Amino acid sequence: MPISVEISNLVKKYGGLAALNDVLFTIEEGETFGLLGPNGAGKTTLIRILSTLIKPTSGSAKVMGFDVVKEQNAVRKSIGVVPQAMTSDMDLTGYENMDIYGRFYDMPKKERQERIDYLLGMVGLKERAKELVATYSGGMRRRLEIARGLIHKPALLILDEPTIGLDPQSRHVVWELLQRFRKEDRLTILLTTHYMDEAEILCSRVAIIDYGKIVAMDTVAGLKQKIPQKDVVEITFSGADADKAVEEVKTIPSVRTAVTTDSILRVSVDNGAQAIPLLMAAVERLGAKVASVTLKQQTLEDVFIHFTGRPIREEEAKKVSFFIGAGVPSKWGR
Amino acid sequence: MTRFFAVLERDLRRFTRNPIVIVMSVVMPIVYLVILGNSFQGELKNLSIAVVDMDNGPYSHRVVELLHALESGPRTVKIYLLSDQGFALKNLKEGLLKGALIIPPNFSRDVIHGKGGELGLFLDNAESISANSIRMAISGALAEIGNEFISVREERTKTKLREVELYRKVDYDQTLIPGVVIMAIFLGAMTTGVFNIVMDKFLGIDESHFLTPLTKLDIVMGLIISGLIITTIIALLVLFFSSLIAGIHLWQTLNIYSLALIIAIIVLSTIGLLGMMFIILGRANHPRIVGVLGGFLNVIFFFPSGAIYPIESFPAWLKTFSIVNPETYSVHALRAILFKNAGLQTVQGDILFLIVFAIITITIATVIFKRGL
Repeated sequence: MPISVEISNLVKKYGGLAALNDVLFTIEEGETFGLLGPNGAGKTTLIRILSTLIKPTSGSAKVMGFDVVKEQNAVRKSIGVVPQAMTSDMDLTGYENMDIYGRFYDMPKKERQERIDYLLGMVGLKERAKELVATYSGGMRRRLEIARGLIHKPALLILDEPTIGLDPQSRHVVWELLQRFRKEDRLTILLTTHYMDEAEILCSRVAIIDYGKIVAMDTVAGLKQKIPQKDVVEITFSGADADKAVEEVKTIPSVRTAVTTDSILRVSVDNGAQAIPLLMAAVERLGAKVASVTLKQQTLEDVFIHFTGRPIREEEAKKVSFFIGAGVPSKWGR
Repeated sequence: MTRFFAVLERDLRRFTRNPIVIVMSVVMPIVYLVILGNSFQGELKNLSIAVVDMDNGPYSHRVVELLHALESGPRTVKIYLLSDQGFALKNLKEGLLKGALIIPPNFSRDVIHGKGGELGLFLDNAESISANSIRMAISGALAEIGNEFISVREERTKTKLREVELYRKVDYDQTLIPGVVIMAIFLGAMTTGVFNIVMDKFLGIDESHFLTPLTKLDIVMGLIISGLIITTIIALLVLFFSSLIAGIHLWQTLNIYSLALIIAIIVLSTIGLLGMMFIILGRANHPRIVGVLGGFLNVIFFFPSGAIYPIESFPAWLKTFSIVNPETYSVHALRAILFKNAGLQTVQGDILFLIVFAIITITIATVIFKRGL
């Protein structure tokens, strides 16, 4: 598969502090690649380097074959970016936002108009296109910004925390949109998130980044395989000997451990959902009657805690300038 | 060029969707004219002085008559005739009066005997401007004492000064018009151009622009040209309305040639100030910084420009600053065109300075503008 993003030994330092430390990975064309990490982990710094906003201290990065330092204009034309902050103009209409952005890319008028109609239709904003963005909800603004990021038909779409601050319904709409665009426009997508469900649903591969370093990278399933915690299936039953039930289920190859307490059989197993019918059949073979079955699946959160030693929502205090208060220098992140 | 026009159009659209900013930009300089024109008024008026006539002779009556003439003519002073010197001085100290003129006993006798009578003038010199005006007005009036006794033959030998005004009568509030127009340009340059960069930075919108192929030049020139269009319109509106308020009918006093010169001065002043704002505020990321610096810069550039007070009376260091202050040249040129029907020859030095200033500021602004976070 052709490579969309190629990052080699990338380092970014602010003073003595390393925001990125020897980052190395590639993203293949057509992938949806997730960068998972808490605030301050270096996700936004990495995205800003890939989108030519800041320069790395050392190392190199290529996007669609173009160097992010030496071929900035070619990189900018190849990528669409949806930054973390809402960046659409509130004083302009949805259509005007799209049109002006298209002109930033020198798109001819006819092509621009056709593309705007298509994209606003896709994101469900055609009816509201002539209204000021100030009247849009947060979810509508985010959809507009995704459409705006795709105005010039980029090969790679980069999204920085695309659903942060959105309500659950809007988050699902954004997820569906990204999946549709990936399929219909054959996009490669790179997104950062600290939402585990978002990464599990959208990403074909995930890199966990912490303190500027990639600490693990694989498919979601592959990452789950790498940690000792497995899915846990709990079966409440009656009419059979507990010890015999334990011995019976241990004959199933994917079962790691099995114990019983008060007629509840607790089984640690690889891929719990697939194992449930086998476990139920094993218990029923002993003449037992199954009252209930529960499955606690291993999550990406478990993976994250395993690799970083802390939950993802632990955030570090933001720095605020003594002199200008909330006017925080952009290098510290907004 | 498409990208440049996109930046320009975005800025113009955003500005037109905030009509309150447009209205304020026009109204504020005009309010400034009305308040300044009516509070400073060039010459002071209605300064209260007490006159205590302890002589009550023909010459003391003559003094009082002359002071009454001042009161009803140029209205510099308002006379209160008192009989008690102590009471007059008490009122002066309490701030109810600005001065007290004491005519001593035997004043008329001394004048008649050629001894040169003396008058006592007590002044509230804590207010030096009022004190100086009273001193000058009374000295001028008292010079007239005894004129009626001078023979016609002697009068022919006395040197007289006749004022010859080169230009039509210009009232003080009219002289403020060039300054008010420059203030409108300053406010326009503050609220357009680089201010939009600062707001975009504050809102995080700048990031989305830097992700596109927009160049430094597209961004800086797009914002400067949009600021120029808006500010020029505002400055012309301010010129029109402030002239109307001050009693000048521009359609009668200006021709196409002088109007073109005025527009050229406004355009060049605006470009220079927009470029200067870009240099000073190009890296600010909070609108509060613009607010604080804006007020400061306005004072720094406006008052030493000669818009309110003549530069010639400044101390040397301030005079030196006014030489490099672009607003000095704008005010000088506008005043010459508006009140002296001056042509290009008279204002070419001003125009040359403004061109050089605009080129330097725009070049520096573009070079030092940081396209990135």
